[in-house]
Amino acid sequence: MQDFVASSARAAGDKELRRKLEHATGHHLELVAAMRADFPAYDDERDTARKIKEAAIGRLDELLVELKERLEANGCKVFVAARADEARDYIVSVARERGARVVVKGKSMTTEEIELNAALAKAGCDVVETDLGEYIVQIRGERPSHIITPAIHLSKEDVGATFSEKLGVPYTAEPEALAAVARQRLRATFLGADMGVTGVNFAIAETGTIVLIENEGNGRLTSTLPETFVAVMGIEKVIPEVADLSHFLEILARTATGQKLTTYVNLISGPRRDGDSDGPREVHVVILDNGRSRMLADPVMREALYCLRCGACLNVCPVYRRIGGHAYGSTYPGPIGSIVSPSLFGPAAAQLPFASTLCGACRDICPVRIDIPRILLHLRSQANEDKSKEMPRWPRAAMRARAGVQRFARLARHPRSIRMLSRLAATVARPFARTGYMRWMPPAFRNWTRGRDFPAPRLRGRRTPRSK
Amino acid sequence: MSALHKLIANLREALERGATLDAAATHADGSATPVAMAARRAELAAGFARELEAVGGHFLGTLSMGESAIRINDLATSLQARTAAVGEGITNGTGPIADLLARRNIAVLRPAPVADDAARAALREQLALCDLAIVEAECAVASSGTVAIVATPARPSSLTLLPPVSVILVNADRLVPDLAAAIAMIGPRAITNHRVAFITGPSRTADIEKRIVLGVHGPRELYVAVIWSGND
Repeated sequence: MQDFVASSARAAGDKELRRKLEHATGHHLELVAAMRADFPAYDDERDTARKIKEAAIGRLDELLVELKERLEANGCKVFVAARADEARDYIVSVARERGARVVVKGKSMTTEEIELNAALAKAGCDVVETDLGEYIVQIRGERPSHIITPAIHLSKEDVGATFSEKLGVPYTAEPEALAAVARQRLRATFLGADMGVTGVNFAIAETGTIVLIENEGNGRLTSTLPETFVAVMGIEKVIPEVADLSHFLEILARTATGQKLTTYVNLISGPRRDGDSDGPREVHVVILDNGRSRMLADPVMREALYCLRCGACLNVCPVYRRIGGHAYGSTYPGPIGSIVSPSLFGPAAAQLPFASTLCGACRDICPVRIDIPRILLHLRSQANEDKSKEMPRWPRAAMRARAGVQRFARLARHPRSIRMLSRLAATVARPFARTGYMRWMPPAFRNWTRGRDFPAPRLRGRRTPRSK
Repeated sequence: MSALHKLIANLREALERGATLDAAATHADGSATPVAMAARRAELAAGFARELEAVGGHFLGTLSMGESAIRINDLATSLQARTAAVGEGITNGTGPIADLLARRNIAVLRPAPVADDAARAALREQLALCDLAIVEAECAVASSGTVAIVATPARPSSLTLLPPVSVILVNADRLVPDLAAAIAMIGPRAITNHRVAFITGPSRTADIEKRIVLGVHGPRELYVAVIWSGND
């Protein structure tokens, strides 16, 4: 995984990227605000959904057994994978045994997490992402930069240029025309596909049902047309009963996209039966742990498993909005990514809990009220205090700035000396500070101003509440 | 907004205002009087119509089965449809609609249980070339403009997936206020035994600069008629 400090600094300097992110995330937040104003029951539904998740995660052991039994009774094949490579190997072996050449995929972060595409390609399959956003990033050779809007980092002109370069169609920046190109190409692919792979939004234990949520219809096509269908889910996706489903559906689309409901909610309980005129011959459900049980075992981390992957916390995060998803270097970017990535990807993601201002906007928008800042602090203190864990490696300048802040923290315990020193500093710094900020500070403080400006100290500053 | 749609909105208001007495005057056994029931249905139909149009769908109106057959034929003609697939009905036989379409020289495909893989592949090929599909929904949700489609061999999922235009019929007594009621109405048994799809508007994407584009993979156009026979 890349170094977060370096990649975020790079991304933050990309003004064009910031314009695209501001545009898309701002638009989303307006829609969500309008939707909330229009749906008074929203907060009650959030509480209900959280309670259901809390109870379900609390008895995950029973529910997964029930789910597996029900799915198998419905004719599905169930594979439980403890690690990413087990899930990957299983799906590749299914593709091999069925002689699958063309594999179509619905949007799925879990299959990104296990890096399925590369493994299938290595096995000789032609893997095609069919969600428009995923299709765009796939033909660019990139990875999605957002949980639900994979191509959020691209403008319509970028997409137009990509299509004309990679697909050989005449350049256009019209979203309508670009979507039509994708529809035409992908429809042909769908009709000839041997295997379909998607993620899972919910799995209902009571009936053994996979619930797939989407707007385009590609998820329906992926799970209906090919002879073999594989659904990949994290262990946390299970909910107890059919009656629980509406509580999640009432909040998920509202928060994710500002819609009341997504265009399609697909309920799939098994392969086609005798006489059925469509549907896959085989349905495989892969249930993946890959570090999730570690989160379950940690009382603070556990609520991260309630996440519905709506992506709203990304759009509201001041850090994500400035650097985008790729800078995080993880399948799951943004606030939710910063808390789940260390458990899923280990030391490689150790820097991410520090990639936050702790402003709390993510907690406020979360449909199931996950206290992300609390988990971030928990992970930070683990990283700092638990010597058995590998400390994140910071670049030298960042380490020095950090040491400087620690010295400042010690000094700040003495209000008198700090008042005296800041008055002194303000007098000295005055000639250097134009526009209220200092762009440069003398050697002892230089590490601070390497990456950002320092607000000029004021002679008669506001007193802090503690200084009586 | 169509004239009919406006009328329904007016009706809804009128029914609401006039319904207080009737709603209170329930039968001795506690069930609603027929008038209150009709008012409730009209209200749900109006709410459904409003939400459907808000997500880019088209409301054909509250129609009798005979009227709906004529409306659908007019629609098929205006779309210059040459082939149409008609799924099996639930409360309403879809035969008359198919017959009327056939009389206008539109090739009608009626999916039926298939015997083998060859028949299945042939049906898929035909469906992929159909200009529109007509399907009855299990129920419809007023609060979100959603229709619930329960698949059977003679009403396969592909009907509302492959053809570019979907026409959905839903009986007035199958309008429910919200999603929870729809899920309860379908029930765990049907969910275990059939493919179920909740459909809210035409296929859409907002993946390029959050601009909404309709018909990216599924149907571009979605029409819904509420069937009200008037004698229940």
